[in-house]
Amino acid sequence: MDARDLANEKAASQRGRRPWYRNVGAAATVALAGALAAGALAAPVAGAATAHAKAKGKPKATANVYASVEKQLSGLEKPPSGVSLLETGSTLLYPLISAWAAHYPATHVTTAGTGSGTGIADALNGTVQLGASDAYLPISDPSNLLDIPLDVSAQQVDYNLPGVKGHLKLNAAVLNGMYNGTITKWNDPAIAALNKGVSLPATTVVPLHRSDGSGDTFMFTSFLDFQDPSSWVASSGGPNTSIHFPSVPTALAEQGNGGMLAGCEKTTGCVAYIGISYLRSALKAGLGDAQLENGSGKYVLPTPGAISSEVASFQHIPSTGAISLVNSKNAKFGYPIVNFEYAIVNANQSSSTTAQAIRAFLAWGMDPRNGSSSTYLTPIYFHPLAPGAMQIALNLLKKIQ
Amino acid sequence: MSDESVDPLGQGGPPPPPPAAAGAVRGARRPRPPRPYARRLAERALRAGSTVTAIVPLGALVAMIVVLLVEALPAIRYNGWHFLTGSTWSQGSYYSPPVRTNGILHPAGATYGAWPLILGTIETSAIAIAIGFPIAFGAAIFIVEKLPKRLAGVVGLCLELLAGIPSVVIGLWGVLTLGPLLARDVYPLLAHLPNVPVLNIFRGYVGSGEGLLTSGIVLAAMIIPIIAATTRDLLRQVPEATREGAEALGMTGAEVFRTVQLRWIRTGVIGAVILGLGRALGETIAVALVSGSVISAATNIYGTMTTIAATIVSLLDSAQGDPTGLATRSLSEAALVLLGMTLIVNIGARMLVRRSARGAALPVGVGF
Amino acid sequence: MAVSTGTIPGAPAAPSLGRAGVSSRRRAFDLWWWVLSAIGLVLLIVPVVWVLAGVVANAVPNWSWSIFTETTTGIGGGLANTIVGTFVLLVGVGILAGVVGIGAGVFLAEVAPPGRLTGLLRGASEVLSGIPSIVFGYVGYVALVVGLHWGFSLLAALVVLSLLVVPYVAKSTELALGQVPLAYREGGEALGMSKTHVLRRVVLRSAIPGMATGLIFALAISVGETAPLLYTAGFSNDYPSDHLVHAAVPYLTYATFTFWNQPSTAVKALSYDSALLLVFLVLVLILASRLIVRLTQRYSPNRVGGGALPRRRATRRGLTAGALAPLDASAAPAERDGTSAA
Repeated sequence: MDARDLANEKAASQRGRRPWYRNVGAAATVALAGALAAGALAAPVAGAATAHAKAKGKPKATANVYASVEKQLSGLEKPPSGVSLLETGSTLLYPLISAWAAHYPATHVTTAGTGSGTGIADALNGTVQLGASDAYLPISDPSNLLDIPLDVSAQQVDYNLPGVKGHLKLNAAVLNGMYNGTITKWNDPAIAALNKGVSLPATTVVPLHRSDGSGDTFMFTSFLDFQDPSSWVASSGGPNTSIHFPSVPTALAEQGNGGMLAGCEKTTGCVAYIGISYLRSALKAGLGDAQLENGSGKYVLPTPGAISSEVASFQHIPSTGAISLVNSKNAKFGYPIVNFEYAIVNANQSSSTTAQAIRAFLAWGMDPRNGSSSTYLTPIYFHPLAPGAMQIALNLLKKIQ
Repeated sequence: MSDESVDPLGQGGPPPPPPAAAGAVRGARRPRPPRPYARRLAERALRAGSTVTAIVPLGALVAMIVVLLVEALPAIRYNGWHFLTGSTWSQGSYYSPPVRTNGILHPAGATYGAWPLILGTIETSAIAIAIGFPIAFGAAIFIVEKLPKRLAGVVGLCLELLAGIPSVVIGLWGVLTLGPLLARDVYPLLAHLPNVPVLNIFRGYVGSGEGLLTSGIVLAAMIIPIIAATTRDLLRQVPEATREGAEALGMTGAEVFRTVQLRWIRTGVIGAVILGLGRALGETIAVALVSGSVISAATNIYGTMTTIAATIVSLLDSAQGDPTGLATRSLSEAALVLLGMTLIVNIGARMLVRRSARGAALPVGVGF
Repeated sequence: MAVSTGTIPGAPAAPSLGRAGVSSRRRAFDLWWWVLSAIGLVLLIVPVVWVLAGVVANAVPNWSWSIFTETTTGIGGGLANTIVGTFVLLVGVGILAGVVGIGAGVFLAEVAPPGRLTGLLRGASEVLSGIPSIVFGYVGYVALVVGLHWGFSLLAALVVLSLLVVPYVAKSTELALGQVPLAYREGGEALGMSKTHVLRRVVLRSAIPGMATGLIFALAISVGETAPLLYTAGFSNDYPSDHLVHAAVPYLTYATFTFWNQPSTAVKALSYDSALLLVFLVLVLILASRLIVRLTQRYSPNRVGGGALPRRRATRRGLTAGALAPLDASAAPAERDGTSAA
């Protein structure tokens, strides 16, 4: 063989393989992007991570914990082909999980926004593989039903008062009064006392609630109950996805967060609890967004910083993932109605390919590089899980077989 | 109907074969001509098949009632009479451990009182009949008596279309178009009616258009085709001679109608109205969209309320999340109540109509 | 018509004779009677036109032909999978309810011995037609979807929908068969045909208009049902699969019922588009039933002489079974019994 053949052979064997310098360049770009992303995420989660590290008693660098989680995530994200998944449940999670389903390769996921109560129920009786819920599972549910945290979300209180500018201050006591009929007009002294200097109209208060089983109802009633012990919630059985709301002559019920938004939009004087994934639409529709009193007595708007500090204030997350993040006493500027979004999944799936598909989809979804990246989360004001919570979620995820 | 083996012409099909040869048994029956095997099989299959298919509705009815009863029994034992009279529909606390009462496991604090549902069902149907019957009746009269034939065909098509439009489309129209229009323009005017005994039901907080009156109006739109079509067809069967006789006596058209046709169709029309009532009682989706979905009695005629059917459709899926199963079972109990109401109404209507069909109309001689 | 007072004993003495000898009070009553009934007619037409106009007005501005090619995604897409799913359900219900309903109708009209058992079967069918569709949905969900572990499935949806409409098919078949004159049957027997033969060759053919309209009416009901399908068919963003169980089925009414209050305008548009498609489908079915009646007129027994003579114009009493049948079914036996007895 002569030199030309050798050269051809070498070129042929290297055809399809990029030259070494381009490989290194690509790796460096990815590493830089990853570092930037991790850095961008590190700011809000740094607090949680360091708190977690302090609780563990061992100093750990933030990037390290996150990196191990990333490796586990990548290990899980291998979707099998030819599987279809059914998801149903929370309308608060619905915009996000529909976006995931639209962009997720390989597995076909059908999503439906039917309310967290239905998400839990359908996952329980096996008619769907993935239930979505803003509420964690009750203890009395079978132990093979898992609630897996996916992301951090929140809930705001919207109202329809066209003449009122700015953000009204509301707290659980006042909201309790609105929902049990003791406060009937917006210029009630109790509301005026919180909002000095704001001229409140004499519009009738129309309290909106959810007619279907709703995780938003669970979060809202948790807030009402935790902050105001004299709330009617306790006599109606405590916070629940489906609760008996007091009979108020002007009350109105709607189906789904979308229904709450549409209903509040066309009813002047309404007050409604709506999930934060609909905040952008609510503001665009001209609804007002309330500042809520948090566990430390401050009035806070649902800004990203406020939500993060509320989550961060809960340092011990149980291994079941079930924890209420409402009305924290330790977050001075935390927003009071915050929750984990849960995927309700039966640990015993009918086939291992289905189980693998579910694990892959949920891992992809909670991964801050994929489903929980800022492109998905920022428009709906969600946050990805902190590494500590994500580890717990991954432990639960691995139980699905 | 004659049995297939009866022989009307005494011929018995093809001519009988010649008598059997020496091997015939003495005293044996005269051999009948054999029908082709395939045809006999076809006949037997047809009879058997049609008998089986005719039993299907009965079987399905029995199965449905059995399923509802079996599901509802624990809930009936737990709720007792309070189910029909109580006003609180609460699934209890899922987040506390369940307790056992009367041997039935249930979430703490679960009470099921369906009175607001029952009241809402009755109220919406009553309003639907009150609004729908005059309109349907008047329209049918006009179609049969005064409308030119070609227009009657077009109006008939409109009736069929209104009957055929899915209830979800009508409900959507109610919640997007009709409700807001009523709340903005009509109800505030009605709310200014004077405070006299009958008219003062229209006074009060007007709301956003979702509520009792709007549900009644939407339901009226759905039962109008039933009543109108039935009345129209009944009117078309009134004998000409009786009608012409009344006209010959010099009565005006309206008087002819009152004395002749009204008497003739009265029972049938009542039957049709009751059938419309049955439809209104069971209507689910349109009411779920327009009623406001609040599980409490309407405070005034515009107030938000709900019906049994609308509650079942909105709570059934999440009720399965009750680990004790009581929520699903109470919905079954509600479904039983609804079933009972519609059964009574429908059976009553059919009995009435049967009576009218047997000619219990005018005592003026035998019908022509 | 002139009436001279005093010649007819008992006739009311008219206080003031108007143009035709009718008092103005009576004329006023007559006028008011017809004016009010005309108002009733107007109030009947108004909702129909309004709903149709609303459906069109909502659907047309955001119309895009891509709804026929794309499937629903949670956040937009098209309606292709729901359209296919609705057609699959229609075909299934047509077969299932057609077979069971026509069989039941044939039994009740031809095969059944007169007696209490037949009355019971007929009564059960009528009672079944009066049961609200949500009760069907509840039983289907609790017994089939959850109880038998079929999950949201095509089979559960077909069983529930077919049971819902079987009474209408059975009743219209029975009615149509009952209107075939005895002479046809006797003629067939006179020729030595067996009963089944007569049924197949002669009677059923004459009954086709009534049976077809009953079946199409059943299909129109199935197209518009939502409540039972919510709990038996579930929903899917995919085309319906060939699995009878454990595979949810998409359908149009779901889009109308659930997409209308989503914040995304694309999804809202899908809801309005599906409403338009539904109305269009119902219109097609109604016109198809009228077409079938017109085409099979020559078999109709209500025509004098059967196939030979030209069609008689429908007078007020000489209406064919076909024109009456659809609202026969909607008004249920109330009006049908009246018809068969008259």
